[in-house]
Amino acid sequence: MKKQNRFKIVAASIMLLGGMVFLVVAMTRSTSMRHFTPALLVADGSSADKQRVQVDGLIAAGSSKWDAANFVLTFAIQDRETDATVNVLYKDQLKPDNFTDGGSVFVEGEYVASQNLVVATKLMTKCASKYDGAESAVPTDETSYNSSE
Amino acid sequence: MTAEIGQAAIFLSVLSCLWAIAFLSVGLRMRNPNAIQSGRNAVLATFILISISTGALIYGFLTDDFSMRYVVEVSSAAQPLFYKITALWGRMSGSLLFWLWILTVVGAIVVWQGRQRNEETHDTLADHALIPIVVVQLFFTILVTGLIEGIYNPLARFPNGQVAADGQGMNPLLQTPLMAIHPPTLYVGWISLTVPFAFAVGALTSGRVGSEWILRTRRWTLFSWIILTLGIALGGNWAYKELGWGGYWAWDPVENASFMPWLLGTAYLHSVMIQEKRNMLKLWNILLITLAFQFTLLGTFITRSGIITSVHAFAQSDIGPYFLGFILASTGGVIGLVIYRWKRLKSANQLESLLSRESAFVLNNWLLVGLTLIILWGTLWPVISEALNGEKSSVPESFFNKVVIIPGILLLFLTGAGPIISWRKITTNNFRRLFAFPLLMGLAGGALTWGLLELIGDTLPQSLVLCSFAVAFLVDDALTWGFRALMDFPLYSVLCSFAAVFVCVAIFAEFYRGARLRAKRQETSFFNGLNLLIQRNKRRYGGYIIHIGIVILYIGIMGSKGYFQLESRSMTFGESMEVGKYQLTMRDSFQKDYANYRRTAVVFDVAKDGKQIGSMEPARHFYYRVGQGDQDTVESAIRHFGLNDLYVAIGNIPPNFKAGGFVNVQAYHNPLIRVVWIGIAVMVLGGIVAIAEKSDRSRDP
Repeated sequence: MKKQNRFKIVAASIMLLGGMVFLVVAMTRSTSMRHFTPALLVADGSSADKQRVQVDGLIAAGSSKWDAANFVLTFAIQDRETDATVNVLYKDQLKPDNFTDGGSVFVEGEYVASQNLVVATKLMTKCASKYDGAESAVPTDETSYNSSE
Repeated sequence: MTAEIGQAAIFLSVLSCLWAIAFLSVGLRMRNPNAIQSGRNAVLATFILISISTGALIYGFLTDDFSMRYVVEVSSAAQPLFYKITALWGRMSGSLLFWLWILTVVGAIVVWQGRQRNEETHDTLADHALIPIVVVQLFFTILVTGLIEGIYNPLARFPNGQVAADGQGMNPLLQTPLMAIHPPTLYVGWISLTVPFAFAVGALTSGRVGSEWILRTRRWTLFSWIILTLGIALGGNWAYKELGWGGYWAWDPVENASFMPWLLGTAYLHSVMIQEKRNMLKLWNILLITLAFQFTLLGTFITRSGIITSVHAFAQSDIGPYFLGFILASTGGVIGLVIYRWKRLKSANQLESLLSRESAFVLNNWLLVGLTLIILWGTLWPVISEALNGEKSSVPESFFNKVVIIPGILLLFLTGAGPIISWRKITTNNFRRLFAFPLLMGLAGGALTWGLLELIGDTLPQSLVLCSFAVAFLVDDALTWGFRALMDFPLYSVLCSFAAVFVCVAIFAEFYRGARLRAKRQETSFFNGLNLLIQRNKRRYGGYIIHIGIVILYIGIMGSKGYFQLESRSMTFGESMEVGKYQLTMRDSFQKDYANYRRTAVVFDVAKDGKQIGSMEPARHFYYRVGQGDQDTVESAIRHFGLNDLYVAIGNIPPNFKAGGFVNVQAYHNPLIRVVWIGIAVMVLGGIVAIAEKSDRSRDP
C-alpha cells in the first residue's frame, strides 16, 4: 500500500516536471529571437530573413523621419563600430521619449532581408545622462531607458 | 562637514559589524552573556551610525550641496522638497545606502524583540539569527564605503573641491508620488525576508531546527509578503498611469526580479504550515527561505549588472560580480550548515496520499517554485542562449504569457481546493460534502463564460476549433497547431472562470459553515458568528481572504490582458475615432505652465454609443530643467467606466495643430482592469487580518 503510494507520487511529480520542462523548451524555441548588431545583421541577413530579431545600435544622424499623418516613424539604426545601417519602420506606435540623433536605440521586430528593414513592434531608447558645464568630465554611473511598446 | 561625518560613520560601521559578528559568535560559543550583549549593542551601534550617514546625505539634498557627486546626479535646486528626499534612492549608491539603513533598522528591531524575550527565557535563537543579518549588513556597508571599484560612496564630494552650479535633477518620469514610494516599498519587502532567512540560519547554527524559528518569524514573512504585494502593485500602477502604453505588466527583467521573491515567499508561507501541522518538509523550508532571500539579491544582480537590457533606468555597473559572489558564498554556507545538521532535518512524516491537503500544499510549492524557475529562465535566456549556442537571444513578453498560464490556472484551482481537501487522505465524505457543490458551480461558471464569449462572438465557431484541436495531434506540426487552436478557443478564459467560481464557492462555503456553527453555539447572529470565526483564527481566515483576492485579481488579468482593445490613429482637429463602444472627438488643445514643466493637452469629447458623456485630456509634459536636455513625456488620460478603463495617450502636438496638423493617438479599452487593483487590495487586506494573529502561536491543533 505504502509502496504503491510512493510510486504514484513519484510518477505524478515526474509528469508535472516533464510537462513544465516541455512547455518551457517548446515556448523558448518558438519565441526566442536573436540579438544582432546592425553590422552582423547586414552581413548575415539571409539567415535572419522573416525572423523576429532584436537590434541594438545608434540612431543614424539625419535618418529619422516622423510621418505624423500616417503614424509612421522610419529611421536607420547604425552600428556602434562600423558604418553598417539597418532600416527601421515603426508604425502605429507613439514615438518614444528621448528619441534623438545619435542616441542609443534597441528595436525588436521582423527582419525583411531584401529591404534590409526591421518592421519594429517594440522600440526602446536609451539616453546617456549628461552633465552641463564644468562637471562634464565627471563620469556617470547610470544611463536611462525609456520604452514604448 | 556633514558629508565627511557621514562617510566616517560608514567606515565606523564596518568596524561595528565586525565587532558584532565576533562577539556574537564567540559569546554564543562560550555561553558568555556579556560578550553576547556586547554583540547586540554593536548591532544597535551600526543602526545609529548608518542613520547618521543617511541623515548626512539627506542634509546634503536639503541644503543643495552641489559639491557632493550624488546630490548633483539626482537632485537640483528647483526640485520640490519631497523629491529631494526621495532622491535618496534615485540612483544606485544612494539606494544601496538606503537598503543598508533599512537593514540596520531590521537588525535593531530583532535585537529589541530578542531582548524582550530574552529576559524571560534566556533564549539565544535571536542572537544566532543576528549573525547572518550582520553579515548581510557588512556586505552592503563595504559596498557603500566607496572602496569597491565601480560604486562610489554616496557621500563623496567631487575631487579638487569642484562645485556644480546646479544638480542634474531626477528623471521627470520618476517625479510622481507613486514612483517615490514604489522603490522603498519593494526594498522594505525584500529586506524583511532577511529575517526569516537569518532565523533559518540561526536554527541551523544553534541546532534547534524544529518549528520555532518559523513561528517566531511568521509575522516578518507575512509583513514582507504584504509589502511586496503592495510594492509590485504600485509599480504596475505607476507603469499604467505614466508610461503611456496602456498596460501594467510586461515581464520586464526588473518586474520579474520583484516578482520572483514574491512567488518564493508565497510558497514558503504555505510550506511552513505543513511543518507546523505535520512536522514534514523541514529541510525544504530552510532551502526555500534561503532561495527567497537569495532571489532578493539576485534581482539586484540581474538589473544592475548590465547582463540584461531592461526598460528600467538602471545602468550597467561593476556591482554584479560582488552580488553574485555574495549569493554563491552565502548559499554555499547554508548548504554546508544543512549537511552539518542533516540528521536533525529528517521528516517525521511522509505523504500518505496524492489526494490530500499535504499534497495540495506540495503541489502549490512545486508550481510556485516552478514558475519562479521558468521566469528566471526567460529572464536569463540572453545569458543562457549565449552560453548554449554562442548567439545571444531573448524571449518576448508573449513567452512569459504563454508559459505561466497553465501553472497559473492550476494554482488558482488550488487556492480553492487546498482549503477544503482533508488532511492525510481525501475521503468520499469529504469530497461529497465540500467539493461537489463548488465543482458544479464552477462548471456552470465556465459554461456561462463560454456561452457569453460565443454571444459576443470574438472567437471562431467552436466545432471548427475542436476539430482542429483533434486533428492537431495527427499531423506533423502538432505543437504549433495545438497551440494555435488553444489560442483561438477561449479555453483559458473558460478554465479561469471555472476555477474562479469553484474557489469562491468553496471558500465562501467555508466561511458560511464556520460562521453558522459559531452563531449557533454562541446563540448570536450570523454576522457576529462570522466575526468570531475570523477573530478566533485570523491566520487561517486571513489566508482565505487573500485567496478570494487572488480570484479577483485573476479575473482582472483575464479581462485586461485577454480582451483589451487598442486603436491607433493619426487625427486632426475635429476628427473622431472609435474604440470599442466609445467615440473620441478631438475638440481643443491648450497649454499651461507649471513650476518645472509645460503641459500641452488635447481635449477629446467622449461619447458612448453616440451619447456624450464627458471629455478626456491626454497631454505631453515638457520638463525645462533636467540633465537629459528638455524632456518630453506622455501624460495619458484615464477614465473609468465601472470596472473598465478608457485610456488615451498622444504623441507630439504640432504647432499647426488647429490648422490641420496631425496628432498621433493611441486609445485603449481595458476591460476589468480596475478589478486587478481591487483584487490586490483584498489580498493586502487578507494579509493584514492574518498578520494580526500573535506571532509564536499556532491556533490549529
